[in-house]
Amino acid sequence: MKNVILVCSLLICSIVAANPVETGHARASLITNIENSTQESFYVGVRLEMQDGWHTYWENPGDSGSPFEANWKVSDGTVVENVEWPTPVTIPYPPLMTFGYEGDVVFPFKVFRSLDSPLEKINLEFNFLICADICIPESASLTLDLSSATPNLLLSEAVKELPTNFIQTNSSNDQENLKVSFQSSEEITSAYLFPKQDNLFIYSPSQKLVKLNDNTYEITVPLLSSDITFFSGILSLNGEGFQIEESLQSVSSMSLWQAILFALIGGLILNLMPCVFPVISLKVLSFVSMGGDDHAKIRTHALSFAGGVMSTFISIAAALLIIRSSGSMIGWGYQLQSPVVVGILTLIMLGIGLVLLTNINFAAGLTTLGSGVQSRNDYSGSFFTGVLAVVVASPCTAPFMGAAIGYALLQPSFATLPIFIALGLGFAGPYLILALKPQWISALPKPGAWMETLKQFFAFPMIATALWLMWVFMVQTSGDALILLLILSLVLGVAVWMIATFKGRWKWIGMLLTVITAFQIFNNLPASSTEMKEDASAEKWSLDIESDMQSQNQAYLINFTAAWCITCQTNEKTALAREKVKEYLAEENIAYVKADWTNRNEEIAIGLAKYKRTGIPLYIFWKPGMPSSKILPAVLTEDSLIKSMQ
Amino acid sequence: MKLYINLMASCLIASISYAGEIKLQNPSTNQQAPDFSGMNTYGETIRLSDFIGKPVILEWTNHECPYVARHYSENNMQTVQKIARDQEIIWLSIISSTPGDQGHVSPTKANELSVSRGALPSHVLIDELGEIGMLYGAKTTPHMFMIDSTGVLRYKGAIDDIGRGMQFFDASFLQANNYVSSQIPELIAQQALSIDSTAAYGCSVKYNYD
Repeated sequence: MKNVILVCSLLICSIVAANPVETGHARASLITNIENSTQESFYVGVRLEMQDGWHTYWENPGDSGSPFEANWKVSDGTVVENVEWPTPVTIPYPPLMTFGYEGDVVFPFKVFRSLDSPLEKINLEFNFLICADICIPESASLTLDLSSATPNLLLSEAVKELPTNFIQTNSSNDQENLKVSFQSSEEITSAYLFPKQDNLFIYSPSQKLVKLNDNTYEITVPLLSSDITFFSGILSLNGEGFQIEESLQSVSSMSLWQAILFALIGGLILNLMPCVFPVISLKVLSFVSMGGDDHAKIRTHALSFAGGVMSTFISIAAALLIIRSSGSMIGWGYQLQSPVVVGILTLIMLGIGLVLLTNINFAAGLTTLGSGVQSRNDYSGSFFTGVLAVVVASPCTAPFMGAAIGYALLQPSFATLPIFIALGLGFAGPYLILALKPQWISALPKPGAWMETLKQFFAFPMIATALWLMWVFMVQTSGDALILLLILSLVLGVAVWMIATFKGRWKWIGMLLTVITAFQIFNNLPASSTEMKEDASAEKWSLDIESDMQSQNQAYLINFTAAWCITCQTNEKTALAREKVKEYLAEENIAYVKADWTNRNEEIAIGLAKYKRTGIPLYIFWKPGMPSSKILPAVLTEDSLIKSMQ
Repeated sequence: MKLYINLMASCLIASISYAGEIKLQNPSTNQQAPDFSGMNTYGETIRLSDFIGKPVILEWTNHECPYVARHYSENNMQTVQKIARDQEIIWLSIISSTPGDQGHVSPTKANELSVSRGALPSHVLIDELGEIGMLYGAKTTPHMFMIDSTGVLRYKGAIDDIGRGMQFFDASFLQANNYVSSQIPELIAQQALSIDSTAAYGCSVKYNYD
């Protein structure tokens, strides 16, 4: 009651239900565009005719002010939707800026009704802030009898002019500005981006408009904070409004040079990833076995290895570009979405493991490892080890690398190649250094019997990798298919044993046996994969799950994962699947959503692209109060995960 | 000579008001708050840095703004001022309305308002040129800033969470989360506040924009 007295004492109080109503500095009326009683949906509109110099506000009022509040009283069977905001205008009060409407404005509300209920009166309590230099809250109680109302053209026009069309924008930001580019066939002379979110932009400076080429324009929007991940709102072009919405990611602010730097570092770190480490260690061992004496030889080997790495990365880049040009959504690690590729990798891993255990002495010993074929030239062995290292590295998205590859794949082709080359250079970096300074090899322990022991030991990480790939294979296919792969593994074992034990003819029979059996079994492999097993503790991901949950004020954590992504699996074990994390999620009522990309899935690829990513892991978190969801680090621990959600 | 100085002064003022886009500053929280000096309603010069050793709360105000009016008529602002005073916090109410605009008052009138409303500011500053307001990026009345005893800006934004939208005029202050009073203990402890920045709500500060 006290409030009513206060408000009434401050302004001309109009509680009488009527239509139209003089509110003090405006006349408010309720209008409709309903034409006959058989319409299930139509509009009602609040028309506000404001006195000269007075204005009211858009949903984001800008630096000050407030949007109106509409409380409807309607009969059962009738639903009035939220207002559909007309395109606002800028109302500057330097150094402040507000967004709203001046003069005569109509706010349309969509109405749905069930046809079995009669058309009745609708009542609206409309509270709004109206300002000139000063601000006054005013209100109107409006009533409209729908059964006798006549359609009002003003409302139909207002509906027609609503900013309903989306315009595609492409944005990037630096510390101070957001640059938003868009296309228009019309000549654009004025543009302003009205953001729905508070606290993102500095509103009062003008947003500089530049014409980039024939029909591409760019506006520069000053930022309040460079920490912007998402914005939506209305882009007003020559006064005509368009809906916009865009997710930004730190990667978008990355320059090509930064991406190249990240790729270099990422490539270097890749050397240490669990799926690569054994192969790399072998390479190092082979260098050790060469001792410190023949520098030229070490140099050539190191260069051959680097060459193998580089050409594989370049081939991958080329392949990705070709696939991309065909319009498919692709990502890093996508090659492991094919069970056939996983199967072959399993056998390669196992084969290497077996060779290590059985003392097979190929032409130049360890250096030929990985070539898979007996090579006459041991330098080609080094080359193929390089190729193999990249192939096995593919499931491991090292930190840094995800962002760089994501960037690479979303850029024009001229930028993609340098990034992949940088990745290769980073990966081959240690060997390139060795090629420059072969004498450094002598810093490593002297060759001796220990090398044989170590070599045999390295068989186990390789076999472990093979076991992991088998699990991936099983998840992708079925238990039956796994048995086939295991039989194939047995055949491979026999073949390796024959090669190791026999000489001449028998060796070749062993090879032949392997090839024939392999061919037979591969013919039987299921081409497509079966349904994925569902994780009972997680909700299933869908493309619009984020907007759904945000509208329900439901906090969420999304885990983009796949069986073949070892970083993802490690994160599950060390963080996501831990009791402490599960308890925290339950306590804080955070929905856990899993997007499983083990098999090819276009929708998930699009979902990742929304975050300018093409690879995984990717973790997304949002809770009520956050203006937009945030990307969590690629490497998680129990504590870091919980902390990042607080 | 005197004429010359006057001429210089008016040129200076003119160049300030015609400097094109006047830019509101946006000081960062958890960094040193920008120092300023201004005249209080007793004609004394008040300098922020004089209060080092005590926390300081800045309140942008305009007694004619309906938002401010409601905070005072329901004794909400005074309650927060009382809590601050009991903790020996300096409270500066700042009026940045330009002469002739809403909320601009003479020092005497400002003092009368404090008495009649039972307000408890340590000082009321008259900031006619809007210099302090622009230095702090004050956009609305009310707009609150909290500075700890070492001079670090700890909070900027709304006084509470019931402001955005017209529900302000229906919502009860009892249900509001008052960002200022609830965070005074953390302010005294010189900690980063749990909520250090919110969007302020209310009437625009009546800067001289002509």
